[in-house]
Amino acid sequence: MSVVGECLTAFIFGSMVGFLVQRSRFCNTAALRDAMLFKTYRNTKALLVTMMILTIGFTTFMTFGDGKPLHFYVGLNQVIGLFLFGIGMVLAGACTVSTWVKAGEGNVGAIWALLFTFIGMFLFSLVWSFIYWPPAGATMNGVPNVAGLQFGFANASTLQEETGIPAVFFGLIQTGVLYAIYRAILRKERRIEEQRSAARQPATSSVEAAV
Amino acid sequence: MFLVVGAWTVGGGETMMTGLIAQFILGDELARIPFWDLVFKPDAGYWKIYISLGMLFGALVGAILSKEFYWRVPRHLSEWVMITIGGLLMGVGIRLAFVCNVSTFFGLTPQMNLGGYLSVVGIIAGAWVGSMIYKKVLEG
Repeated sequence: MSVVGECLTAFIFGSMVGFLVQRSRFCNTAALRDAMLFKTYRNTKALLVTMMILTIGFTTFMTFGDGKPLHFYVGLNQVIGLFLFGIGMVLAGACTVSTWVKAGEGNVGAIWALLFTFIGMFLFSLVWSFIYWPPAGATMNGVPNVAGLQFGFANASTLQEETGIPAVFFGLIQTGVLYAIYRAILRKERRIEEQRSAARQPATSSVEAAV
Repeated sequence: MFLVVGAWTVGGGETMMTGLIAQFILGDELARIPFWDLVFKPDAGYWKIYISLGMLFGALVGAILSKEFYWRVPRHLSEWVMITIGGLLMGVGIRLAFVCNVSTFFGLTPQMNLGGYLSVVGIIAGAWVGSMIYKKVLEG
């Protein structure tokens, strides 16, 4: 594909995602924050279902050697970076996707958050230029680099290569784990619902008694 | 479809935009900051930029069609402060981790990438701390 074609495809794909996210009010931030803060799990369940479907999909592709996984070298920087990101996204009230979506809805706060995300990235680029950590993509060669706190690279494809067990097998295990979490959430929801109705019961009966 | 979603990371597009904006303001001076030379060379033809712009556009269309479009402005100073700090932390965090939460949940973890698990640990811990701060600010 030519560059213009790529960009156009990306734009159309992005528009679709933006439209769907706007309509469904789906948000990764909300998925985590609401579960922790408000004990509502609507988005968390959606997130889990999406992850289950994607896990099966990706690992099936990988089993047949297709599927082009992200070739991605990981290290301690992921944990620290996403820790900061996690704090940031709750404070800003949106992750990167929903910031764009909210900006499209006319939320000035989201535009402000985006502006400061850009500034944060630029600031980090300055910091990076001093410390050169995490190592740049070009210098990552997949070999665990303990000095750089990098752990190399592993995913379902490499698991398949090393153990000879099809990737989809590991995918099914992961899906099972995700499904267990999903079930736990459903149970929790039911318990909260029961508590609420239990709390409501005496209130209504006392009202009836008063009447 | 899986291929597109799998390659979908959000941070890259924003970083490229940052680079382009910085290049626009600083001009050739930007080449003196190694990050923009070694990791992200500003390039307007980078396709991920257009995913982000597309999301903006798609959300705009969706909001207008459902008559949900109106300007929302945060009222309290505390909200502005939280958004500012949150935005900065997101920017720093994305670049430090090289991933963002979309690629964590929809890209890396379904591919059973080791980075996905590390990221999930980080983001859940971060969201928890963030929620605590958020609660404090709301109550205090």
